[in-house]
Amino acid sequence: MKRYVIRRIFSAILTVFIVLTLNFIIIKAAPGDPIKSLMGKDTNDPALRAALEEKWGLNEPAYVQYGSYLINALRGDLGTSIIYNSSVNSMIGAKAGPTVLLGLTAALAALVVGTALGIFCAQHEGGIIDGLLSAISYALDAMPSFWLGLMLMIVFATHLGLFPTSGMTDPRSSYTGFAHILDILRHMALPALTLALVSVPGYFRIAKSSVVQVSNEEFITTFRAVGMSEKKIFSKYVFRNAILPTITTFGITMAFLITGVTLIEIVFAWPGMGRLTMTAINQRDYPTLMGIYLVVAIGVSVVMIVVDVVYALFDPRIRYE
Amino acid sequence: MDRRKHAGLARVKEAFLYDWQFRAGVAGVVILLALVVAAPLLASHDPYEFGVDNLAPPGTAGHLLGTNHMGQDAYSMILYGIRTSLQVALISSLISGVLGVLIGGAAGYFGGKTDLVISELINAFLMVPTFFLIMLIVALFGNSITNVMIVIGITNWPGNAKLMRAQALSLRERTFVRGAVAMGETRLQILFKYILPNGIFPVVANTTRGMAGAILTEASLSFLGLGDPNIISWGQMIYAGKNYITTGWWVSAFAGAATILTVIIFYLLGDGLNHVLNPKYAFESRGK
Repeated sequence: MKRYVIRRIFSAILTVFIVLTLNFIIIKAAPGDPIKSLMGKDTNDPALRAALEEKWGLNEPAYVQYGSYLINALRGDLGTSIIYNSSVNSMIGAKAGPTVLLGLTAALAALVVGTALGIFCAQHEGGIIDGLLSAISYALDAMPSFWLGLMLMIVFATHLGLFPTSGMTDPRSSYTGFAHILDILRHMALPALTLALVSVPGYFRIAKSSVVQVSNEEFITTFRAVGMSEKKIFSKYVFRNAILPTITTFGITMAFLITGVTLIEIVFAWPGMGRLTMTAINQRDYPTLMGIYLVVAIGVSVVMIVVDVVYALFDPRIRYE
Repeated sequence: MDRRKHAGLARVKEAFLYDWQFRAGVAGVVILLALVVAAPLLASHDPYEFGVDNLAPPGTAGHLLGTNHMGQDAYSMILYGIRTSLQVALISSLISGVLGVLIGGAAGYFGGKTDLVISELINAFLMVPTFFLIMLIVALFGNSITNVMIVIGITNWPGNAKLMRAQALSLRERTFVRGAVAMGETRLQILFKYILPNGIFPVVANTTRGMAGAILTEASLSFLGLGDPNIISWGQMIYAGKNYITTGWWVSAFAGAATILTVIIFYLLGDGLNHVLNPKYAFESRGK
């Protein structure tokens, strides 16, 4: 178990290091000149350029920049936004909350609903509901999340007027306490629903196939032969074995989820990291972009490691391998 | 060798007869290709032409699926958009397929330290949120469709490499490969003559599914405003329609529907190929 955990942590550190390096290479190799955009199009004063390069450390050789970038990143300092002149840490910190809230809500909803439907369909394999849900899951898998978001917006916000189309809170009223939470929930309904819908197929498929697989195992047939009740077989043996792969799926879909959150945030103008990314890209705000990519990559690897360790705790087959 | 070829053909034929997913996937791709070729004949308007009717609803003035905010005919744009999607799918998955096969094959066949290093790299790259990387590169290096295709290709190899590595690991121990070693063939010869051709099938099926992924990725990039403005793509139609979603839902809606259909076709083809290329899979005709 200890060796397994150490191995996984080593992989995570390697991943973070690769991400840092990739990030640095990409941004160094990219066309476009941040000093130029700072000075403006018409200014071409060499003294100003030198001063700005000095200020941002862009006059140092590439390996020195890489070194100081690594040291700063490891200290948790992501630098300063060239455009807003405020620290990238605080900019990401201010936007991370809404993103995590939206992403986690959707992921948990998808996990519960997808797994439940998957188990149901496995028990009624070949039935009408199974066929229908499998087809829907196929279609949802093929759907661009942002398109689904737009369509839900047309139906539920524009035509039915049930939910607001954008934002996280109503800017015209300043609710407090319970009303404030309710306001956020109302704004979160559509983006969370969209995200959950596109995440459900993953859990649905894995839950269904593992229940079907476990049910066909010989030890289950033996239990049946000796007259154990179906209820007990299911709750004690089938369910426990089948629920395990769901944990892994939660980790694997993390990267997919964060991508989805980014796109959905833009559709529904949710004030999270997706929109921050968008503005940073448009303004060539290098430090902010690097910071976002880094935070996302570290976040995803940490979650995946935690998930793997949790999995190993539940499933002894992994840790004794 | 000849007999093996016939057995392969027979299996494809069998799959075509009994596996509906394979049949539907092949038929779908044929239809898409036919539409690409026939697009100039079938289109009612020049998709690049800015017409006089802005945001005309479907059915008005000869616009079957309506027009966008610039008066371009949505139906004609969707027809021409097939080309973009197929191009992105094909080229990016070719790149990721070749990279994956070479890297994974080398890791699995050479083994030892090479394998250790490459496997760690594959695992690390599988953890990195690929879409953010693609977004970063396209944003910084320019959003021409060529860039988009290359970047999607070079970021999606790890999955293929993992499959190929597993194949190479098991092929390495097979008698015909050991025979070749005994005959004194070099390691590179063996890799390219025996390991890669025999282990490539799961990668082919996976790459087909990867095509679907590439189409979705291109659409997502376009939706972030990172698409190539000089071409017609469904993602950009959805993106352009976003601002008029309350007054002109059809611009986004039909382009999205076209994307979904195309992605489903590639999913079906991928699943079908998986059945054809997996010798253990029994089609329904048997046993019943």
